Amino acid sequence: MAPPMNQTVVSRGFRSRRQEQQTLRDRVPSGQYVTTEFPILSAGPTPQIKVENWTLALQLGNSLIGRWTWAEFEALPQTTMKTDIHCVTKWSKLDTTWQGVTFDDLLKAVGGPRTSAPYIMAHCDGGYTTNVPVADLVCGRGMIATRYAGLPILPSHGGPARLLVPHLYFWKSAKWVRRLRCMEKDERGFWESLGYHNYGDPWKEQRYEGD
Amino acid sequence: MIEDVAELVLDGNAAAGLLQEIFVPDITIAQIQCETCGTVAGVGSLRLYAAPMGAILRCRHCDSILIRAVNTPHGCWIEMMGTRSLKF
Amino acid sequence: MIETAAVPAGRLHWQLAEVREIVVETPRAKSIKLEVPDWQGHLAGQHLDVRLTAEDGYQVQRTYSIASAPEDELLTLTVEQVPNGEVSPYLVCDLRAGDRFELRGPVGGYFVWTAVMGGPLCLIAGGSGVVPLMSMLRHRDRRKNRTATLLLYSSRSLEDIIYRQELDAMAHRDSKLCVVNTLTRKRSEDWTGRWGRIDKALLAELCFPPEQHPKTFVCGPTPFVESVSGFLVELGHNALAIKTERFGPTGDRHD
Repeated sequence: MAPPMNQTVVSRGFRSRRQEQQTLRDRVPSGQYVTTEFPILSAGPTPQIKVENWTLALQLGNSLIGRWTWAEFEALPQTTMKTDIHCVTKWSKLDTTWQGVTFDDLLKAVGGPRTSAPYIMAHCDGGYTTNVPVADLVCGRGMIATRYAGLPILPSHGGPARLLVPHLYFWKSAKWVRRLRCMEKDERGFWESLGYHNYGDPWKEQRYEGD
Repeated sequence: MIEDVAELVLDGNAAAGLLQEIFVPDITIAQIQCETCGTVAGVGSLRLYAAPMGAILRCRHCDSILIRAVNTPHGCWIEMMGTRSLKF
Repeated sequence: MIETAAVPAGRLHWQLAEVREIVVETPRAKSIKLEVPDWQGHLAGQHLDVRLTAEDGYQVQRTYSIASAPEDELLTLTVEQVPNGEVSPYLVCDLRAGDRFELRGPVGGYFVWTAVMGGPLCLIAGGSGVVPLMSMLRHRDRRKNRTATLLLYSSRSLEDIIYRQELDAMAHRDSKLCVVNTLTRKRSEDWTGRWGRIDKALLAELCFPPEQHPKTFVCGPTPFVESVSGFLVELGHNALAIKTERFGPTGDRHD
């Protein structure tokens, strides 16, 4: 006596305890639920990185276009971004504040766009990767963030620095980012090569490949 | 707030639901060999990460990824490049 | 009745479960007895996934260990309420007999004990980690099995000991079963038992020595399981022979 395939059983009296106000509906993509917590999801153990040893590289092919130590990175123009974030596991968190260096400012620091390569692969400590079109990083759409809510990002949340691309599902905001590699052709990163959507637009509910 | 991600780590046993949608025999009782370091262990004893998005099972000895699995509405994905062998 | 050690592991599907009875175990924990018409049986130690759907379509899924023995008529889950949890407060506070939800299982053949596996049997529980181990003890009891068994069970306070009376009764009528409780937080005047977290000395004192090749199962919050298994390995136990089930940080699989 299993429930029919297209019908699930509603459990009497069960409701989401996550807050949802009518006025926020246009900020919450379909299928998402607002949370005031900040859940952590990691594909592996948390790397413990000392900022003295940290560097960020911008790469094209085998050539290094730019490289920054922590001190050099902190000396770049800093931008604060207040934004909503959406995780593919269905939680959304509104009005999160981040500080870091925008991708635009990173490009300016190396003398402007040095390539027309349209894609970036982010490489991270611990081996995680994710691919993002350059068009989704420029014009203020993406940054390398070093602070959350005014404080240095905790290691469990991706510190010392993580990619932030909030208009895409949050798996694209790669934790522990160390290298941005420009690519002529798109390649799939960690989750994208395992059934998740290659682009990941929460407003089109692009969670999985085939959506 | 959870400060230590180590506390979020579960056992491969906890991935049994997801894996059993892919493998008909119960894979959690299989013996798996790590391609990187050669360690053999029960799949149920591996360290499981990222449980809400899928199953990332890592070697207890060297932390290399042995199995990556995701269950999507369009099908199940599994990648086992880090596994040298699996014995049921 | 399960005669062999094998439950066929076919493809899982969601099944309907209806609540038959709810039993208060502690101020924060209840046992939920379910009727599941399509249930194929399970082995002691396995778990299942529970799925709740709200009126607006919101769905959430959690994993719970099966508390009942394979021999028992009704499938039983024991749920401990987690503060600010999403699912456990509903199951512990709101659920009534007659309510329905979906479940999928049984899952997991790794963390399983059957009477044919023999012993000696060493069960170590932290908080709600006692649930799958209770399934093993109930299976042993229903089978009238007399494998030498130790349950070492760590709880916060006297009132948090789940199944206390049932465990006392089992140990009382079976000289081959030893149940040791230790409390870690609230002191109480009427407690004459042990205090403090499970440490290496306590394990050395109570557990079957490595030479006896015990079947060891450790279950509870992740830090508890890591700590206990670490001590057992230091005491000479074979790491591969220690089966663990980690419940995540709070002691419940998610909340």
